[in-house]
Amino acid sequence: MTLQKDPERNETKYLHKLVDFKGKRILEIGCGEGRLTWRYAKEAQTTIGIDMDINALRIAMVDRPFDLENKVSFSATEAQYLPFSKETFDIAVLAWSL
Amino acid sequence: MVHALDEIWRVLTSNGVLIDIRPLADRWPVEVVSTRSFKETGRLVDLAEQVNADEASDKALKEMELHGWFIREQEEFFPFFYSWDTSSEMEEFIAEEWADFAGLSDNVKQTTRSAWAISDADSRVRVRVKMLITRWKKNQQETMNEHRHHRRTS
Repeated sequence: MTLQKDPERNETKYLHKLVDFKGKRILEIGCGEGRLTWRYAKEAQTTIGIDMDINALRIAMVDRPFDLENKVSFSATEAQYLPFSKETFDIAVLAWSL
Repeated sequence: MVHALDEIWRVLTSNGVLIDIRPLADRWPVEVVSTRSFKETGRLVDLAEQVNADEASDKALKEMELHGWFIREQEEFFPFFYSWDTSSEMEEFIAEEWADFAGLSDNVKQTTRSAWAISDADSRVRVRVKMLITRWKKNQQETMNEHRHHRRTS
């Protein structure tokens, strides 16, 4: 199948229009396979993507570029019970997950 | 859903920002496009799961806003395209992946097939999904007491 998602990259354009990721600590909720993560993670200081879909997270980890290995991590975590201390992140992204 | 927003509030810094990106049910248009031409061939049917998801999200955000946890700063709509080489590939995808969210009527299916069949060689079939992106700022000072109260009682 020759599906292309957002070939015009509108999502990336609008995401960057609304928020500056440079040097920020990001929590992405509902990261799935990391499709959106790769659109901003290079600019961010660190990114943690969470999702309850283990298979999608496996793909995300396999697809993670070498230069992002120390900046991007993934976790099978529910948004209702975030295993992080208070005030850990500068930006939270609800990625098609609300 | 509201509890998740509460958790997000907790882990964000005092100047933290919440970005919500999501599709909205809006009878998404089906289009046949090439470098030379454009034709809208119809619209998908919104199915219950997408409509219910939108309503639940709106309700949770309204509650979040009422509590004063976050302040809405900016909101925009934009198109997100799903694009295929052929109409049959689109049909297959919608049937398999969007079975609960959006439907394709026989009429739109036939119109799209016909339009694609007589279109340019580089034509693609696409669905224009309506997206909403909202920027929320964490409201630290105004709601600490109220927020603590909510966390104790929920």
